[in-house]
Amino acid sequence: MTAPVSHTYLNTRAAILADRLLNEQDLSDLADQSLEHLGRDFGVTDLLEEKKSNAAINRAVERALISTLMHELSVLLRPLKGAARDVLVHWIRKFELYNLKALIRGKLNQLTYEELRENLYDLPALISLPHQELLRAENTAELLRQLEKSHYADIARQARRVYQEKNEPFSLDATIDQRYYAGLLKRARATGPEDLKPLMKLVGTLVDQQNLLWLLRYRFGYGLSPSGTYYLLVPFGHQLSRELLKKLVNMNSFQDVIEALPASLRERIGETDHIMDVEEAMSDETCQKSRYLLRHSDSGLTRALAFLVLREIDLKRIYAIIQGKVLKLNDNLIKQGVGLHTLAEGGTS
Amino acid sequence: MIKPLPMKHVLLQVMTDDLPRVSLTLADLGLFSPDYRPFEEENFPIIPGEHYRELFHQASSRLEKIRRNIPLREPLELKDIHVVGEEELTRYNNWLGTVWERCSQFEETFRELTSEERMVDQLDQALDNFTALNIDLSLIHGEKHFLDIHLGMVPRDNITQLKEAVALAGYMLFVYMAHGDNDHVIILGPKSEKEKEIVSVLDTAGFRPLPVPAELQDEPERVRQDLLDRKQKVLTERKRQQDDMSACGDELRNELETAQRILIMAEPFVTLETAARSSGRLTVITGWLPARAIKRTRKALTRELANPFCLETRDSLREERHLVPSYLPTGKMASPFHTLVKQYGIPRYGEVDPTILFSLTFIAMFGMMFGDIGHGLTLMLLAFLLRRKLKSFTLLGISAGASAAVFGVLYGSIFGYEELFHAVWIPPLSDPIYMLTAALLWGIGFLTLITFICIHNRFIEGDISRAVFDTNGLISILLYLSVLWGAYNFYASGSFGITAAILSLGSLLALLAYKLIETHAPPGERMLVAFIETFETFTGYISNTLSFLRVAAFSLNHVALAIAVFTLADMMDTMGHWLTVIGGNIFILVLEGAIVTIQVLRLEYYEGFSRFFSGDGLEFKPLKLNQRGTA
Repeated sequence: MTAPVSHTYLNTRAAILADRLLNEQDLSDLADQSLEHLGRDFGVTDLLEEKKSNAAINRAVERALISTLMHELSVLLRPLKGAARDVLVHWIRKFELYNLKALIRGKLNQLTYEELRENLYDLPALISLPHQELLRAENTAELLRQLEKSHYADIARQARRVYQEKNEPFSLDATIDQRYYAGLLKRARATGPEDLKPLMKLVGTLVDQQNLLWLLRYRFGYGLSPSGTYYLLVPFGHQLSRELLKKLVNMNSFQDVIEALPASLRERIGETDHIMDVEEAMSDETCQKSRYLLRHSDSGLTRALAFLVLREIDLKRIYAIIQGKVLKLNDNLIKQGVGLHTLAEGGTS
Repeated sequence: MIKPLPMKHVLLQVMTDDLPRVSLTLADLGLFSPDYRPFEEENFPIIPGEHYRELFHQASSRLEKIRRNIPLREPLELKDIHVVGEEELTRYNNWLGTVWERCSQFEETFRELTSEERMVDQLDQALDNFTALNIDLSLIHGEKHFLDIHLGMVPRDNITQLKEAVALAGYMLFVYMAHGDNDHVIILGPKSEKEKEIVSVLDTAGFRPLPVPAELQDEPERVRQDLLDRKQKVLTERKRQQDDMSACGDELRNELETAQRILIMAEPFVTLETAARSSGRLTVITGWLPARAIKRTRKALTRELANPFCLETRDSLREERHLVPSYLPTGKMASPFHTLVKQYGIPRYGEVDPTILFSLTFIAMFGMMFGDIGHGLTLMLLAFLLRRKLKSFTLLGISAGASAAVFGVLYGSIFGYEELFHAVWIPPLSDPIYMLTAALLWGIGFLTLITFICIHNRFIEGDISRAVFDTNGLISILLYLSVLWGAYNFYASGSFGITAAILSLGSLLALLAYKLIETHAPPGERMLVAFIETFETFTGYISNTLSFLRVAAFSLNHVALAIAVFTLADMMDTMGHWLTVIGGNIFILVLEGAIVTIQVLRLEYYEGFSRFFSGDGLEFKPLKLNQRGTA
């Protein structure tokens, strides 16, 4: 496809797909539905009828939801090539990284083949690690040797330090996360002028969310030094600039960091000293920015990525609802769990 | 063989203890294709051999990894075929585990040696760099009162971020050399309580210290020699490890091959998976067998099993036809053509197997388009000489060459020379219209035959309405042939002919009516779709027929290319003349040969297969003893 044609196609596709996004009422309606009804919607009726274990149902639901996301991604990828395509493919690689973390942690903790397999996502070939080979590795050293031959060589080196020098395993997770977002940023920067500005805004918002959470966690949860914390951040953001990040890592208390944030973020987070509240507020911020860009951006690529970001959040909420149903939790509790506070308190309309 | 062999669905009831022997017997026969659909799950809830399967997969994985270090002979000769019990499999799995541990240690040692080699290399580069500098190296060694200094290398991607991070602790980072993916750096800052902090950051950034010896300036030769010794030590150690691994391979090879045989014999039971289900002492196995192999299978099971068994068979049901594997035994002769057909797909069970039709028409069309005795014989000779590389495709090359040679006799052409002997049929360029007409007739015949195969396939599927009314059905071919008849009448006598006109119009209206009924859409859209699809059916036949003009076009092209070569050759002196003739013929052979092959495949796939061959059949994959090694 020529550039204008692919641009129009992507815009149209993103606009059509945007109709699938859920608003609060949709989520509330889903939470009110029976498990059987939800099972039919997500193609796991058989499992429910056969009364399989909760773990099996959860895995099947998870697989169905990821497969939905992958299908929508493949539709959006169709007209894309080069740097634009790389951005979306890299974004979806986060699932592969979840598996990578589970594999490395599992091997470090000497989990068995079955235990490890249970913790991995079933992913399509597009982003799938050679799981079987890695799973069959009989010890950590073997796993690391295999990883060193893959495109995760740098992560394998970091994992080797954790393994050989008994470092804190979180540094490995931190490196993986940091590499992922730095990779996303790098790919976003390589896109054409028609996409660059709005895309950087969206990627910057995603990075802001991660940076702030990492910063609070590393500094005040794990007690890392300012320089150690800064090294693990991505020095870029939409609202949290490089200079501001340097200032923030040098602060000595959680409250000081919140106080030093830009006014809009500070207002959204409010008065809190819980990282969970910050996480929720930043997620809301990402949702709001993504929704805005999905509606108003001129860049098809940005709209496509914004859709995927929002869709992932929706699918996670659907997963939470089904999990809640499987565990026979109260509907109000489920609604609270997926962030439907007002509806949960006031009842459904 | 023009159709997949008739198959029977099999339900085999055996004693659970006999299951491994049953699977081995079935694999030895190589005719049983498991049916993995759930069968009476309530009565037979257990899928036997779960632990056995896990053991097998672990052992196979270990063997595969070992084979990366210790190559085994291939294919293995299978001897002492016996049922592999869980105990025996466990024993071999454990043994393979210990062997893999040894191999893994070798791999780890090689990795460490490679890492050491890289380190020495980096150090070597750093020494070169420092030798050229006029600085006192003792200044960067040992404990300092006021300065904390780190000399080493960092992956280049991490430099910018690290520089900013260490700056937050009051440190400075300088890159003094780049080598490979790493930058060599000096990091220094004031001595303070931040020393530990900086070590942690450097560690996270993948910093590796480089121990540059302080004596480099005073005794550079000795330092160089130390480095050379270190390099030599790595090389010696690598050689020693390789010898050890080779000795280990020699020591273990026979036993490893035995382990591989054990896994080959265990594989059939593993492959059964959900096709076998058990309840207590009874196990049922479901699958497909060629009808002609039922008796043989029953006989083999009677011979091998001590306990009684029950083998029930039935024909496939209409709704499960798409699940019946298509068994198309191919002889050596048809093998290369079968491979090409498989590139398009597998015929559904009951559909006509296009291999024979493909073989004959491929050979004929290649000859028609590339007719030349010299070129044909050269192709045959090349295929024969390259038979080891071409393997089963040798026959394809020889057949195509022979066909080209035969058409060369018919066209009177040898290496492009047309005056050396009289054409038995016609030199293509002497009457191009005649050649084009012949190609058209060939195309009409080909398409008619293909359409009738398509109609047959639909009748076999029980899809009568599509067989009669749909595109490539009876009505379509009637429309096609009646229009051709009318066109011929018009060409011969100036009138289309009443009968031809009635047939054409009638079939066209019938086709349109069917499309109108079949299309599910609002009235306006329905009309539009039906009109377009009917029009497309008609134009499809016409354009596909015209596609066959390329058969004649390439035969003309072949001669025209030869004329071009001779015209060029005639402009040269004697030496140049022959060089041009030889070069030109090689050019024709390579370039036109490739183009003609592609064009013939295109005609086969697009004008032929796409009409009657869905290609979505299931390949017959029987249980068998895989002698090449386990997957």
